[in-house]
Formats: sequence, structure tokens, C-alpha cells
Amino acid sequence: MKNELSSVVDALPGLVWTALPDGQVEFVSRQWREYTGLSLQDSCGDGWQMAIHQEDLFQLLEGLRSSVSFEAEVRIRRFDGEFRWFAVRANPITGESGAVVRYCGLNWDIEDRRRREKKNVEDALRRSAAERRHSEEALDKARSELAHVTRVMSLGALTASIAHEVNQPLSGIITNASTCMRMLDADPPNVDGARETARRTIRDGHRAADVITRLRALFSKKDGTSELVDLNQATREVIALSRRELERNRVILRTQLADNLPRVTGDRVQLQQVILNLLRNSSDAMSAVNDRPRELVFKTELEDGDHVRLSVRDTGKGFDPQTMDRLFHAFYTTKDGGMGMGLSVSRSIIENHQGRLWATANDGPGVTFMFTIPRNVETHEVSPGGISVKDQKSIARNS
Amino acid sequence: MSTRPLISVVDDDESVRESLPDLLKEFGFDAQSFSSAEEFLASDSVSQTSCLLLDVAMPGMTGPDLQRELTIRRQEIPIVFITAHRDELVRPRLLAQGAVECLFKPFTETDLLAALNTALRV
Repeated sequence: MKNELSSVVDALPGLVWTALPDGQVEFVSRQWREYTGLSLQDSCGDGWQMAIHQEDLFQLLEGLRSSVSFEAEVRIRRFDGEFRWFAVRANPITGESGAVVRYCGLNWDIEDRRRREKKNVEDALRRSAAERRHSEEALDKARSELAHVTRVMSLGALTASIAHEVNQPLSGIITNASTCMRMLDADPPNVDGARETARRTIRDGHRAADVITRLRALFSKKDGTSELVDLNQATREVIALSRRELERNRVILRTQLADNLPRVTGDRVQLQQVILNLLRNSSDAMSAVNDRPRELVFKTELEDGDHVRLSVRDTGKGFDPQTMDRLFHAFYTTKDGGMGMGLSVSRSIIENHQGRLWATANDGPGVTFMFTIPRNVETHEVSPGGISVKDQKSIARNS
Repeated sequence: MSTRPLISVVDDDESVRESLPDLLKEFGFDAQSFSSAEEFLASDSVSQTSCLLLDVAMPGMTGPDLQRELTIRRQEIPIVFITAHRDELVRPRLLAQGAVECLFKPFTETDLLAALNTALRV
């Protein structure tokens, strides 16, 4: 019977043991002995403790003193020195007096399960971290693209819709004028028809003019928001948004932004549209340049103490001095597919900021576009000869 | 019944609808104009039309929508698109889908005549 029992105990799927409440082990099963490499003699008394991880031992000693059944998870050293996690469950056996005589316990290996759980948790953490990183990246990208698109679109979409609006009446004008000529050339001439088409030509001409009037109204001062704008910061933002584009066009960008540049009063987004427009024009003007560096220099400086100047210098194809003035006319373009609106709109924006936008040919190749805007006067200590708000307004009225 | 080819103009812009038919008549064609693709489809001009001068962007059914609808109905009318959006990317796409030409407004009468001649030869 004892042999039979012993063989049953040895066959149980786990390490079986009995111990006294004071922690002295009486018996360990064959599986314990085989796992730990400790003999029955080695394991008995306090000997078993050397197989338990130091940090986990207290759980078992406390459990054995508790007088009730207990569970624990502890690391047990295998014969080869490797610690593996075991779940321990032990029940007390009480004597006739009701006092605990001994504990009978079973330990089973949960190392693989713990590893799986740990891996699952780590995987989940990694996944969520990756997801978060991914979504943050996507968000950042979307945010910068949105900023880019809203700025580019506002000029790009604006010019496209202006072009559309103007092209419709222009189309009518040309068609009507063509019809008119044919009617007059007919034999006999169709004078009544010609008169009607000429009348329509005039009307469509007015329609085109109305579009330009609306465009001016769009940039009239009352529509813009007014805030203090740091042109250095505004420039840096535009550059940051255009960095990829500049890299793609192999443009080398340098900045010479003045320290302590006074701020200007105006509409930040409109001013950035102008800066972006100048950047793009210059970048485009250098797209065919292959025999010299495509260099773009953004420079800000204080001019005459009362104006802030921003200049954009390129090494592009440049302009014929005669065309320099026409650059700022609506619909004048040197670009294939260009609307010829960018500089015209940019000049309107700068003029609405009581500023000036112009271009000069460089000594070397290329052109420098620049604008000046009065510095913000609120923070400006009025010095003899300094500009006051009143002066500024009168300048604006006179221009 | 006239033997002159019928050119149908579909454009939401009134000044085009007003001016283009007169020029087309001066060219020697018959001309009709419609303010929308839907109006054209509902008319009895569909089967009579020798060439369609079709605006690209219109509220409701667009020019390309009408082009697809006509293909489905097996009405093989040569189409010359006219658009005020000067988008160089749109042109090759429209031509690839079977348009004869795509003219950007404002176009000259020479370009228009050339496109119509191509369309009517098809």
C-alpha cells in the first residue's frame, strides 16, 4: 500500500512535498528530486530552501506559518541552475487537537504559461506603442500637410478660381468679337447681328473687370486679421513647410535672419502666403539652372529704423529689366502653366500692409525679391524723426 | 430639314451659351445650346447632334459624366471639351477617354474650327 501510494505520488504531474508548519520539509516526491537535482536527504529540513529563489522564499515560509491553505508563485532552481516559475498550492493537515500538523503541497511548472503571457503583454504594449507612434506620425504629417495645403491652396485655389472667373468672360469676349467680325465681313454685312455681339463683348468685358474688383476687395484691409507678426518666425514656418519641395528641386537654402527684429502688424497667414509665393517663384526660376548652385537666401533686416525688410535672393534665370515692372501685373507669367496671379496678389497683400514689394536684378545671376513693411509702432519708442501711428495712416492714405 | 451638321453646346455659363451658337452659325453649322447635361439628355437633339461642345465642370452632371452616359447609351457623338480651368493634367485624361479635343477658355476661333473639323471627320 505504501509503495502503491508512493508510486501514485511520484506519478502526479508536479512536485509533491510535505512540511511541518515551521518550514521543515519531511518528504519530497521523485519529480522534485529529479527537477532540483536534490536528494531526499538534501531537501529535507531547511535543505529545500536552497532551490527556491531568494526573493520568493518568504511567500512559502509565511504560507506554512499561516495555518490555512495557501497559494504562491515562486521560482524554483532546476538541477542545471535555471530558475523556472512554479505555482504552489498547499493544504494544511490538522491533528486531533485542531492544530496544523503538517502541510501537503503541489508545485507545477508555469514558466511557459508566464512566458506566453509576458510575451502577449509585451506584444500588446509594443503594438499599442507602435500604433500610437504611427498615429502620431500620421497626425503630424496630416497637420503639416494641412497647414501646407491651406496656405498653398489659399493662393493656388484662389488663383485658379480667379482664372476660371476671368476666363469665362474672356471666352465670351473672344467668341463674340469673332462672330462680330464675321458678320461685318459678310456680304451684305449683318450690321444688326454685329451690333448685338459687340454689345455682348462690352458686357463680358465688364464682367471680367468685376472679377478684378472683387479680387481687390478680397485683400482689402478690413478683411485681414491684425496681429503682431514676427517675420523671422513666419519665414521659418514657411521654410519648414517647403523643405521637402526645396530638397526635391535641389535648392540650397540659407537664412540670414536679423536678431531682435521688430514685429510688424498684419495678417500672418497673408504675409506667409507672400513669403511662400516668393519662395516658390525663386525655386521655380532655378529649376533649369544646372551650371551653378541653386541657391536661395532669405534675409530679414531692420531698414531705416522704422521698416522691416525681407528679401529672397535666387540664382535663377533672372529677368529682362524691361519685364521687371510687368512681373507684378495680373496674368503676366513666365512659367508654363502659371496663372500670373501670385506676384500681383502678393503685391496687393503687401500694399495693404502699408508696405512695398519689388524686385531687382542681382549683380550675378538671378533676382532678389523684397518687401518692406513698417515695424509695429506700439512697441516703438517715438524718437525725434520716428514714425508715429498718425504718420503711418497718412502714408497709407496717400499711397 | 437642314442638312447642316448640328453642334450642341452644353455649358452652365450663360455668356458661352449666348455667344458660341452665333459663331457656330457663322461657321455654317446648326447650333443649339443647353445649360446642363441633364437638359441635353432630355432633349431630342441627342440623336441629331454631330458634335458636342461640352463644358467640363458643371453643377450636377459634369462633362465627363455626360460622356460616360452617352457611351452607355451607345450614342457615339464626337466630343470637344471646353473648360475655363486651365489644368494640363485634365486634358490628356479627357483625350484618353475618347474626347476629340479639349480647349481651354478663352480659345480662338481657329482652334475651335480645327477641333470641329477633326470631330466631324471622325
